[in-house]
Amino acid sequence: MEIQRRDFLKLLGGASGAIALGLYGCRNSIDVPERLIELAKRGPGIESWKNTICGQCPAGCGVSVRMIDGIPVYIKGNPNYPVNRGGMCPSGHSALEMLFNPDRIKNPQKRIGVEGSRKWEKISWDNSLKIVSDKMKELRNSGLAHQVAFLNGNAQNGLMDKHFAQFMNAYGSPNYYSFPSIKNQTVPYNLLQGVEQIPAYDLLNAKYILSFGSNFLEEGYSPIYYTKIYSQLRDQSVERRTRLVQIDSRMSLTAANADRWVPIKPGTYAALALGVAYVLIREELYNKNFVQTSTFGFNDWTDSRGKSHIGFMKNVINNYYPEEVSKITGVPAETILQIARDLGNNKPSVVLGGQGAEDNTNGTFTQMAIYSLNALLGNIEKEGGVYFVDVPPLAELPSIVYDEAARSGLEKTKVAESNDYTYPLADFSFDAFTKNILNDKPYPVSVLFIYKGNPLFQTLNHHEFAEALKKIPLVVSFDSCINETSEYADLILPDHTSLEKWDAFSNVPSVGFTHVGIQQPVINPLYDTKNTADVILKLSSMIGQSVANALPFDTYEKEIRFSVEKLYTSGEGAIVTEGVKGAWLEYLQQRGWQIGRYNSFDEFWKLITENGGWWNPIRKQKKVEDLFKTSSGKFEFYSKNLEEAINNVVRKAGGESSENMKKVLQALNIHTEGDAVFLPHYEVVSIEENMPLYLVTYNLLTNRDGNSSNQPMMQELFGYTVHEHWNTWAEINPVTAKANGISDKNLIWVESPLGSIKVTARVNPGIMPGVVSVPFGMGHTSYGRYAKGIGSNPVSLMKNKYDKLNGIPALQATKVKISLAN
Amino acid sequence: MKTALKTFLVIIITSSLFQAQELKLPSNPLKGRIVFEEKGCIVCHSLNGYGGKIGPDLSRQKYYGSFLQLGSVIWNHIPSMNRKFRELKMERPQFSESEMLDLVDFIYFLRFLGEPGSVANGQKLLSAKGCKSCHKIAGKGGSLAPDFTVLNKYSSPMYLAQALWNHGPLMQKKLAELKITVPQFSGKEISDITAYIRQATLSSAEFRLSPGNPSKGKFIFQQKSCGKCHGVTFGEEKMGPNLSKLNLNSSVTEIAGQMWNHSPRMIKYMKDNSISYPIFKENEMVDVISYIYFLGFEDKPGNRRFGENVYIEKGCSSCHESGGKGVGPDLSSSSHLKSGVQILQRMWNHASKMEDLLLIQNDEWPTLTLDEMSNLYAYLKSKNK
Repeated sequence: MEIQRRDFLKLLGGASGAIALGLYGCRNSIDVPERLIELAKRGPGIESWKNTICGQCPAGCGVSVRMIDGIPVYIKGNPNYPVNRGGMCPSGHSALEMLFNPDRIKNPQKRIGVEGSRKWEKISWDNSLKIVSDKMKELRNSGLAHQVAFLNGNAQNGLMDKHFAQFMNAYGSPNYYSFPSIKNQTVPYNLLQGVEQIPAYDLLNAKYILSFGSNFLEEGYSPIYYTKIYSQLRDQSVERRTRLVQIDSRMSLTAANADRWVPIKPGTYAALALGVAYVLIREELYNKNFVQTSTFGFNDWTDSRGKSHIGFMKNVINNYYPEEVSKITGVPAETILQIARDLGNNKPSVVLGGQGAEDNTNGTFTQMAIYSLNALLGNIEKEGGVYFVDVPPLAELPSIVYDEAARSGLEKTKVAESNDYTYPLADFSFDAFTKNILNDKPYPVSVLFIYKGNPLFQTLNHHEFAEALKKIPLVVSFDSCINETSEYADLILPDHTSLEKWDAFSNVPSVGFTHVGIQQPVINPLYDTKNTADVILKLSSMIGQSVANALPFDTYEKEIRFSVEKLYTSGEGAIVTEGVKGAWLEYLQQRGWQIGRYNSFDEFWKLITENGGWWNPIRKQKKVEDLFKTSSGKFEFYSKNLEEAINNVVRKAGGESSENMKKVLQALNIHTEGDAVFLPHYEVVSIEENMPLYLVTYNLLTNRDGNSSNQPMMQELFGYTVHEHWNTWAEINPVTAKANGISDKNLIWVESPLGSIKVTARVNPGIMPGVVSVPFGMGHTSYGRYAKGIGSNPVSLMKNKYDKLNGIPALQATKVKISLAN
Repeated sequence: MKTALKTFLVIIITSSLFQAQELKLPSNPLKGRIVFEEKGCIVCHSLNGYGGKIGPDLSRQKYYGSFLQLGSVIWNHIPSMNRKFRELKMERPQFSESEMLDLVDFIYFLRFLGEPGSVANGQKLLSAKGCKSCHKIAGKGGSLAPDFTVLNKYSSPMYLAQALWNHGPLMQKKLAELKITVPQFSGKEISDITAYIRQATLSSAEFRLSPGNPSKGKFIFQQKSCGKCHGVTFGEEKMGPNLSKLNLNSSVTEIAGQMWNHSPRMIKYMKDNSISYPIFKENEMVDVISYIYFLGFEDKPGNRRFGENVYIEKGCSSCHESGGKGVGPDLSSSSHLKSGVQILQRMWNHASKMEDLLLIQNDEWPTLTLDEMSNLYAYLKSKNK
């Protein structure tokens, strides 16, 4: 059934229209089960509210769901939940459209046709779980437990991740992967500071914010958290308020809200950051005390063998003076001087790096260059600077008693481990994973679980992954709706939607305090679906006692209670209502008080589930060794971690020699030589194709990972800033448009060596000349009536390029050409 | 006859002194923070730096006074607050009775919570008070008592104070044997010492207490038989000091320090009279002290005759004429002024109208001192139907 926009507008009745639409016979559009319609007709009309955590994206906002007679009819932000403090994005409101989505999978399905044939038959839970457990037992008994792999596409910290990892470890497979991996993004901070975490930024106390491609109001881990902070910052007189300068190739939502937008050529952010460092150093605007006492490699130095090394300062002074940087970046030299002087003279000032800078072949070095500005400013763990939040005191899952099958399986090499010299710092490389499955290296994959995520829509070169899926004898998906990836699954064991399930999330990356959110069902499951966590518990017990012992819980809800009980016994932090203002909690904690006193864990549990979560905005005192976990115990401008990692690869390549080093650096896409390799530096992005324009892509708040495309409200709101609905567009600068004979709203082709997409041209000066930007989210070839065949997917144009150090896809490294489409 | 008259007078006097407590003891005095934020007080007043800078930061260590004192402070700055509401285009908040009581409870309680300790001062104090004669810290000190450095949990100041209290008899006996003077604590010394211990141990685990439940504290006070020696109402003299006379411009740790300071005499007296020494567990000591702190919340009864003068002199009577002839309702026939909370709530809620009227009539805002406030209250209450 194809839905046109005009049809949708006829049906549109707001989020709470779900029930109403059901009542008025629009069940093809919004599918409300008969029993709920009957209840809505006859019920007494009693209102109630329940707090839970939004599951529409990984941002982990607290939401309050309004229910009439127990039927959810409206969703708003939970005002007490500290991450979003009552705020919510459009996608959060749309969770009802996911709950009542007409394309939901209502019971387990078994594929009966070839992969992608869309032929399925219903299967019972018992039978489907028997198929899976029999296969897993067979593999385990044959010493092949390692041939089972698990992809968790839900990039969130929380219990579910630990739950899956525990299951896979106890079973005996080293192949549990989270994608996109949060750890991949921590690589630059690990190299410089030894910390495997995403930093948080104390924007509230900063006077000046310099953002390198961090579209934090729309694309960060938690846009609503930063939107709330930013709105607080802007609620001051113009003279007193914090200034934001946004560097980006396109005028993102953040750039549009900034005091100044500085356009830059894609892939050159590192050069600009080092140009800013140059000015800070030359004009002595950096924090000399911090640099002297807490950093390593700023000045030239000599190692224990007497070899001299170049320091960060000399490298910057010699190579990144504004005139040179201007040639690389397209940013005028005067602008570089000005932003550097403003940064150095408006302390505390803080520097952020984000997607625009990171998603490229040189992303690691770019983020290192940007983050090193914070070290120059002495911003580490300082008010108005950057810091790392503490891990919440949740209980660890029970220790695993490994049996022989598990021990043997876990000793095997991981499937995702690269066979060449690439990705030495990646926690998970999708590229290596796909290639190795296709080549049966180091061994075939026999079973693959896929939880959330949709690799065949989201990843680069996904046609290759489709071939990989065909090779795997048993692919098990837990999707709630059939999408591009689950079309290749052998079994679909449908998960509940977020409004029907239990889960516990913790510490959304970059959010500035320790927190735990409890997701709970606001309604009983509408269909014959199960929480995937409960399915894993069941599988554990079916596979064998040693696996079951690792997860000794009847239900996932009980596992959450077990985990959360330690929050209660720790005496730290507070239920979210008790300290919605961090300053108040801090006030009490400084005096040795805890806010809430709970007479029992049952009382604590009741409060945490009623209010949505727990938090602790007070960071623990940190010793120096906790701040800098590097070998020097300092912030390392010269990264010994990186040196060691690359030397390890060189040794694997045949031993330490200049020839092997050259070979390895080439494989890693590093064109620099000598000491500069281990310093923050600018790496040229190699773009082979002879195309004139850079293609940049980005996520919109309405459809951050492409998973909201099956919700009509989000399709309607998709291009709310440019008034494009149910459609994909390309933004181009008037200069670029004129050179290509294109006018606003023309249909155009955007073409790369890999293919072409037809989109609507939107001509505006909010993008730099020579760049085309296309939003990600549309262009599904599956995923239900509202998503399939609507708009275009820019990822389909992109070559299979990655940052060869940390495995992050290079989404800004493709060049294209454009032409009018008839 | 003389005896009968004396008895009659005693009954009359004591009945006026020992009035039933009118303000209900709160079980959670911090509840009013929600009112403070929701009603927009935080727009002008900050708490620990969070909030507006127009009014004073209420978390500064200042005792604002009893219920009616707070009432008079609030009343007197209503005109300046109203001007700010208009300037900031804020809706002037209205309070229900419970909201008003929660708010005043909260502001009253802020002083109780204490101040953060000073590590540097704590380090000096630990030596000066002789604690290191028995306790070791950072490798230095005696070994008769537990080593502070190896404490596996950071303890909050009141947790430490409670532990000190509980092992008071044993410790004081030991100190006597060693001829060491029992240390005395004043001001925020207990907080300072705790801050230093925390710094020295750097333990990641923490043990904190809840800020206090006065209602529960009253129960524990009775359960531990504290009332046998201490009076809690005006004129209730017993062996120990009357707790209603306590200087309430003190935080909980300061009050705990005072308790500790008098413990040697108390221990001796109890021993001599075979009374068992009270041991506190969990949050009990904080709860008891919070109860004692709230003994000062309710004011001494005012003089209704003086109150009538205030009513006339401050111009209340010119609007609130008897028989309902005035602009305002006849307060002498009101049935809504049964308690101090009701009066304060109604005074606040009607202040805008009153301000406009005074302005039109070129009259000044009638400020009220504490005495005037309590006398006016006594008068209005006596008139209430």
